[in-house]
Amino acid sequence: MIRRRQTAGLLVLGGCVIAVAVLAADATAQSASPWRHAYALPVVAGALALGMVGGSVTALAALMTQAPTLFVRVEAVGLGAGALDELVSAALLLVLGPLLGFCVTEARRQAERYATVLAVQETLADERPLPQALDALRCRLGGRLAADVTLAVRDGDDWIVAGSTAPTSDSAAGRAVATTAAVFVPDIGHEARPHRLLSAPLSVRGETVGVLTVERGGELPAGERRALVALALHIGAALENARLAARQRRFADELAEKVRAATDRLAALDQAKSAFVAMASHELRTPLTALVGYSELLATRAFSPDEVRRQAEIMRRQTRRLAAIIDDFLDLSRLERGEAPPLRLADVAVGPALTAAVELLGGPQRACRVVLDCSLEPIAVRADPHALERILVNLVSNALKYSPTHTTVTVRARATSGTVVISVEDAGRGIAPEALPRVFEPYFRAPDAVGRAPGSGLGLAMVKALVEAHDGHVHVESTLGIGTRVTLQLPAVP
Amino acid sequence: MVFPGLLTGTPAGLLAVLAAVLAMCAALVHLGWLPPSALRVVTVAVVHGGLLAIAFGWAATTPPQWRPLGPSVIIILVLAVAATGTRWDPRAAIFYLASPLWLTFLALSGRLRALGLRWEMPVGGSLLGLAAGLTLGGHMLLAAAVTFGHRVTTDGLVLAAIAYDAGANVPSSELFFRGALFNRLQRRWSFAAAVTVATAVGLLRYLVDPLLPRAPEIIVGTLVYVTLLGVINAWLLWWSGSLLPGLVASLVFFAAYRMVAAV
Repeated sequence: MIRRRQTAGLLVLGGCVIAVAVLAADATAQSASPWRHAYALPVVAGALALGMVGGSVTALAALMTQAPTLFVRVEAVGLGAGALDELVSAALLLVLGPLLGFCVTEARRQAERYATVLAVQETLADERPLPQALDALRCRLGGRLAADVTLAVRDGDDWIVAGSTAPTSDSAAGRAVATTAAVFVPDIGHEARPHRLLSAPLSVRGETVGVLTVERGGELPAGERRALVALALHIGAALENARLAARQRRFADELAEKVRAATDRLAALDQAKSAFVAMASHELRTPLTALVGYSELLATRAFSPDEVRRQAEIMRRQTRRLAAIIDDFLDLSRLERGEAPPLRLADVAVGPALTAAVELLGGPQRACRVVLDCSLEPIAVRADPHALERILVNLVSNALKYSPTHTTVTVRARATSGTVVISVEDAGRGIAPEALPRVFEPYFRAPDAVGRAPGSGLGLAMVKALVEAHDGHVHVESTLGIGTRVTLQLPAVP
Repeated sequence: MVFPGLLTGTPAGLLAVLAAVLAMCAALVHLGWLPPSALRVVTVAVVHGGLLAIAFGWAATTPPQWRPLGPSVIIILVLAVAATGTRWDPRAAIFYLASPLWLTFLALSGRLRALGLRWEMPVGGSLLGLAAGLTLGGHMLLAAAVTFGHRVTTDGLVLAAIAYDAGANVPSSELFFRGALFNRLQRRWSFAAAVTVATAVGLLRYLVDPLLPRAPEIIVGTLVYVTLLGVINAWLLWWSGSLLPGLVASLVFFAAYRMVAAV
């Protein structure tokens, strides 16, 4: 289309030159026609419309048209003022046409280069995966440069290629990558018209990240090759910018996600602590109320010795309960400071420890039955007896707390290679899967457990801390509607 | 892609033989053993045949490869016979037309594909070549008649000269300077560089041509028109991929050139 327009334009300009020649035909041997200056019109129009080719061809046509009459005049009257004037006019046209055309062509090329760089920036600014971005860029560049364009960008050891083929060691693109310099092949085949090829590396901070290959059937002049090398640098920088922008967006998204998670966690923690304060007030107030009430009774009234003993026993139990709660708080505080609970290790027989816990919590007055399933051979662990008792009491009391009436809580113990495995299994409602990973967190209570049974949310957190302080580990399995099993492993006495 | 060197395929042996024949002929003419017209005959056959032989040799280096010696010898003999006959009788110039026939045969067999001569005929390009030849030739006739007062003639000698151009001058120039030299140069350098060198060498060939009239206006005109013709023909070859438009342009221009009585 462009070529047809150029040809049509040149024909029109040729017609104009001939028209001017007809007008200027009134010249005589003595005087030049004033119409000779009209030749400047098609020459300037040719330069402005068609650039250097248009300006040069029109100027040449104007000169050729004037030449026969001009030489006749020179031959007739010599190189007088009139002939000299006409000669200078013709020579000026010959200078003006190509010069103006050159300026127009260069200005257009420069504008085209800026537009191409802008197109590169626009294409790579779109958020899309690299292969699609390269493909879009290849299509846009191909249209702008009127050439076959191939873009290859490194992706680790592989290439992401938009266009023909990936660079190989013997290809121009491969050599451009290897030498980090542009490679120009004046002709890549034996077609009637030479096919020029230029491969320019896409470099970022001295590192070659890819290669731009431009192949055109026709001319690829030195100026355009230099512009393509500069364009390759722009593409490299734009690719790097796109990559950095994508990374920044990813980081920002990740950061926002982390901040959201941390905010949620802080809110949950704040909520849990508020609940804990309310619960702790209640838990502390209950034994305190009992202590205050019974101590006032004993102080103000006279009771029989048996009654005094009973009330004293109640006060003793409440005091121990108060002490246990305070112990939990202290241990939790220590854990939050990152300190391990203090342990006094000894060889502890597991069977008696389990029996004591079961007897303490599973008396006949309980609505649930506690079954102890312990292997016959004596098993011992290296543990702090007081800590072990707290672990077992916590687990069994937890199981009893959440078990419906007339169900069974089973406590098992067995020795495996070097460890003792103790499990406490109930037939309760189970724990929801989403709450399961958090049951060992301090203050956490499963949403459906709150209100069903009293608790501080510290029991399982304490169990975990104590078990891990013994170099053991604990985990929980639960199925909704079937029950929950907490299993802990402690190192056995060798 | 590996390209042949700039002079790869040049039939050095054949050129040496041609040079020896020319030198021997010149010596014999100088000694008076042969008439001066013999030197003219040998020069036509050696120069045009040599240029065509080089073009054939270069064309034969690109696939499909073929042996250029036979066709080269044939065309040299054809030119020699035509030149010899023309010295006796101008009507024998018709033998020059055997040369384009032989070239057509070679082109149809695909052996001159590398020179831009192939089976396909570029109609648009050929019309453009015709227009270019008419424009340049017409301008030259106009300039010769208006500026220098030369007569325009169309006698039998003009036809003989046109036959010489059709069989020797135009084919050898176009096949060597455009089809071979420009084509090979443009695969190494830019179009501008290739056309400059090919046109300059072509111009040199016309300037040293002993058959060119020595009148200053003829020499200047030749410089201008042959330069323009060389550039236009190179562009036509680049644009159309075929040598045919250039051949048409040259033939038309030289036909006009022969009509100038001073030539």
